[in-house]
Amino acid sequence: MNDPINWQSFFFLLFGLVACVFALAVVFSSNIVRMAFYLILSLGSTSGLFFLAGADFVGAMQLLIYVGGTLVLLVFGVMLTAQGPFVSLKTRGGEWVLASIVGGALFAVLAQRAVSISDWHGPERPLTLADSGEAASQPDSATSDAAGPADETKESEPFDPDGARAEENAAEDDKEPAPPTHEGRRVELRDTRTATAIGMALSGPRVDSLGEPSAVRRGGMSSYVLPFEIVSVHLLVVLIGAAYLARTKKRFKTED
Amino acid sequence: MQGLADILPILLGAAWLLPLVSFVVIVFLGPRLGKAGVLAGYVASGAILGSFVLSAVAMLLWLGHHWPAGTHHEAHGAESHAADEHHAAGDSPKRARLQAVAFAADDAAPATHAADEHAAGADHGLADEHAERPAYAGTWYTMASFGPLELSVGYYIDALTVAMFTMVSLIATCIHFYATGYMHDELHDVTDHEVRMSDGRHLHRPGRYYRFFQYLSLFCFSMLGLVVSGNVFMVFMFWELVGICSYFLIGFYIERKSASTAANKAFIVNRVGDFGMIIGLMALWGSLGTLAFGDLPVVAGGKGDNSTATKAVRPGIFSLVRPAENHHALTTPDGMVRSAAAAAGVTDNAAAAEAGVVNDWRQQGLGYGLLVVAGLGIFCGCVGKSAQFPLHVWLPDAMEGPTPVSALVHSATMVAAGVYLVGRFYPVFTPEVLLVIAYTGGITLLMAATIAITATDIKRVLAYSTVSQLGYMMLALGAGGWLAGMLHLFTHAFFKSLLFLCSGSVIHAVHTNDMRQMGGLRSKMPYTAYTMLVGCLAIAGAGIPFLIGFSGYYSKDAIIAQLISFRNHNSGFHGVLFYVAAAGAATTAFYMFRLWYLTFAGRPRDHERYHHAHESPKVMYVPLMILATLAIVAAWTLPGTSLSLANVLEQARPAGEHGAGRWWTALVVPAEHLSHLGAVHVEATLIATIVAIAGFTLATVMYGLGVLNPDDVRQQFPRTYAFLRDKWYFDELYDYAFVRPTMLVSRLVAGFDKRWIDGFIDSLARWTRGLANIDDTIDRYLVDGLINRLADWTYGFGLYLRNVQTGRLREYVMLIAVGTVALFVLATFAVGLVLAG
Amino acid sequence: MNLLTEPVGLTHYLLVGAVLFVCGVVCMAVKRNALGVLMGIELVLNGANVNFVAFANGNLRSDGDWALGLDGHLIALFVIVLAAAEAAVALAITLNFYNNHSTVDVDRAEELHG
Repeated sequence: MNDPINWQSFFFLLFGLVACVFALAVVFSSNIVRMAFYLILSLGSTSGLFFLAGADFVGAMQLLIYVGGTLVLLVFGVMLTAQGPFVSLKTRGGEWVLASIVGGALFAVLAQRAVSISDWHGPERPLTLADSGEAASQPDSATSDAAGPADETKESEPFDPDGARAEENAAEDDKEPAPPTHEGRRVELRDTRTATAIGMALSGPRVDSLGEPSAVRRGGMSSYVLPFEIVSVHLLVVLIGAAYLARTKKRFKTED
Repeated sequence: MQGLADILPILLGAAWLLPLVSFVVIVFLGPRLGKAGVLAGYVASGAILGSFVLSAVAMLLWLGHHWPAGTHHEAHGAESHAADEHHAAGDSPKRARLQAVAFAADDAAPATHAADEHAAGADHGLADEHAERPAYAGTWYTMASFGPLELSVGYYIDALTVAMFTMVSLIATCIHFYATGYMHDELHDVTDHEVRMSDGRHLHRPGRYYRFFQYLSLFCFSMLGLVVSGNVFMVFMFWELVGICSYFLIGFYIERKSASTAANKAFIVNRVGDFGMIIGLMALWGSLGTLAFGDLPVVAGGKGDNSTATKAVRPGIFSLVRPAENHHALTTPDGMVRSAAAAAGVTDNAAAAEAGVVNDWRQQGLGYGLLVVAGLGIFCGCVGKSAQFPLHVWLPDAMEGPTPVSALVHSATMVAAGVYLVGRFYPVFTPEVLLVIAYTGGITLLMAATIAITATDIKRVLAYSTVSQLGYMMLALGAGGWLAGMLHLFTHAFFKSLLFLCSGSVIHAVHTNDMRQMGGLRSKMPYTAYTMLVGCLAIAGAGIPFLIGFSGYYSKDAIIAQLISFRNHNSGFHGVLFYVAAAGAATTAFYMFRLWYLTFAGRPRDHERYHHAHESPKVMYVPLMILATLAIVAAWTLPGTSLSLANVLEQARPAGEHGAGRWWTALVVPAEHLSHLGAVHVEATLIATIVAIAGFTLATVMYGLGVLNPDDVRQQFPRTYAFLRDKWYFDELYDYAFVRPTMLVSRLVAGFDKRWIDGFIDSLARWTRGLANIDDTIDRYLVDGLINRLADWTYGFGLYLRNVQTGRLREYVMLIAVGTVALFVLATFAVGLVLAG
Repeated sequence: MNLLTEPVGLTHYLLVGAVLFVCGVVCMAVKRNALGVLMGIELVLNGANVNFVAFANGNLRSDGDWALGLDGHLIALFVIVLAAAEAAVALAITLNFYNNHSTVDVDRAEELHG
């Protein structure tokens, strides 16, 4: 290995492998409790992938809602419907074969689609940074200077030409006293900014349109107030509906 | 006058429409009017009673405005004494003398009359212009107008109309009340003993009380409409309505074969007459362009009133035929002259415009034939309706109807309609037509009277008597005796309805029509017997000569006097009419008393029936008494005044004289006043009385006293008897002459129909069926087969697809995945193809 | 090609997403336990979410101008929220099914077959 380890790739591989392996484990496990556990691990590492892709708010929500909420719900469900000690419902082998064939075909199609477009293979200029932006903030790499633009363009590259972004970053940097570690903090700042932008978009204005030079794209940036409201009402309905469906019905109960 | 012109149409119109209201009510509510429709009788009787009251009021109003002056012969009586004053004679002071006394007074100066005779024609024409001849014509409602032709509901009201209206409604009222008693059998279920069903039992049917009165009301409406109608079109409408009512009523016992046959016969025979009538109407309208009797104001909607001469009027038929400027002499109307000229091809338009040319043509006699045709045509209708020879055959058969019907329809009113129409159209008839009328009447009179001698059915005797008396009227009219004929029409209506109702009462009591099973009923039913005796005396013309008599005495005297006058004016053969009339009078007296003796006198011949006989209820004999009274007094003059039926009718006498014929100049129709000349009158009275007494005596000898056995007489003249009994073989003659040839032709036509036309149609039908079968096969196997196959496929495919829906969740997931992959692959191929293309 | 030294691209994310998605589909297809099916659904949704987030980032691809940007994040958020709602309702249905049939075997729920 001549090249230094690209830590971003490293962590991507780590989280990706964990997610895939535990997803497969969910499929092949026949114990429902274990399936739930494997699913937690798989979803958790997926949230790591989100962080890596610069979606800090989405990753956080993944952890909070999925891992913290939905899966707890699932586990409750597992406990409530437990039929004796770890009853497993066996699936016939033929179905396994059939499912494998169909799944394999589906995967083949999807993978072929993913691989077939060369633009998607990676960024144009090689990213030589060893440092990934998540929590490490290691400035020890020699090419740390190049990591800055790489990291910050996670979010801002589509919005800004390099020069403008650099100036802005520089202006922000002025406020911060610690130059060597400013890269990691900048990532943090940008994550905060993502959350703000999402919050603003959900309540109306699109702050990311301010730096958008293309009028066409600016026009396409719509407000998310209406979907937000719809989803709110939807959640309310689901809440009531779920409560209604899951409540204990007296007529099915016997007195003793 | 203006007031009368306004009020008379209202009164008579209301009286005319009341029976229609009753008819409508009974039609719609009939069975619900009380139990079994018993109220229908009261409704109908009330309506006709109302009509009578209204028409009586009209009559009184009429008399109030137009008090009848003295009769013609009275005027001439004055004339003869003071010749210079004869113009003033028209409005001479009313004379308080009985008519009979007037006859006697005329005897005083027979010589002057003889001298006066020939000048009388012209003089009288002048006198006519001054005579009061009130008539009100108008239109109630115009239904349609096509060019000059107006179809309207109008009226023509003169003294004849009012008197006829009153007479008809009076008799109809009596008969209605009588019928409420007579028809009470119909109030419950009826077993008709004359009808046998196929299973041998008698017909049992529900009563038809209300229906009877429904028909009666419709009949009264029609008859009154006929009387009041102001144009020929309306006359024809009601003429036919009367005919159809007659049809309904004759066929009232429709289940009896004889009744339905008689109804058909009456209707068909009347059609023959109506055919002629339509020809007459076409001749009139085609040449005159109007159907109205009287002059009508040009402005539509206004009431016609002849008294206001300032108004522009459209001349009616009467004014056209007898224009006032021509002293009401018979004149061929311009229209007829032009039509005839056009037909003869002697016209050209320029010349036709000049009145002088028309007058020349008129002098040449152009158009006169058209007038004759019109008159003959109208008379044809009257022949049918009034049962004159040769269309008399339906009337005796019409006796199949209930007796009140016979009384009302077939003696007093409907058959009188023909005579009435002749009287109404009198101005239009040319002397030639009148001669035809006279001979028709004469033949009818003699024939019917002789048949009546041998008839044994009580109603048939009366029916033939009716025919005979109608012949009398026609004879009188044809001989120029308008007043005589009309007077006889009225008096006959009274006594003939009386006679029929009496016979109905008898039939009601003994349940048979056959006089041979009656006899001695006088003690059982005195009211009926003596009212009927009154009727017999009236029809025989009984009276004390020159003093007083029953109503028939006056009318028959007048007729015979007119015939004597006719004989005196026409040399040669025409005198036979007088002898016919005299013989008829004798025969009438004979057969009427024969009837009375056979029915009421002597010993009962059928004790069973005699035993059950009983006097009719009050509701039946009270009308008899009313009619009997009228039969006596109808022709009397009210003492102290000049009010008499004859004088009232005199007001309606058609203007103008007939004089000599154009084609047959030897023919002279004498003016009626000539018959009042003393010599003629005395002769007539004596002859009438003598022949009546002769007939009465013979009847008394043969049937009353039994001195001369009728059977002996019968054996003495077997052929004559058979000839008379078989009604002169008219039915057989018609059977051979018309019915059988018609049937033969019908059979031929039917055979042709069956063989050729039916065959053609049948083969067409077979063709169509064959085509339809082929079509059916194609439909069934090709079209339906295709559709059914498609439906089966769809159904099977659906069943097959059903298996895919297993309900197993995991298979669905699998299918979704497979589908996704397939979509991807397909899309890839598609993109590839697009790119390649 | 050294994965550890090369920068990762969109393709890598998409492959991970595809693995998760296919695992979810297969899970739904083979699990007879209703809760297993639910877990499969969660996996499918997560695979989709990985794609959304990856597409949102322009740095992972050479044609960065085509990235979804903030919209991708927002849609991913909505997916998470709706997945939570769906999970709640599906669990309620499962509980109901369990109450009625005393089992969570989805093969027993075939009353709606055609």
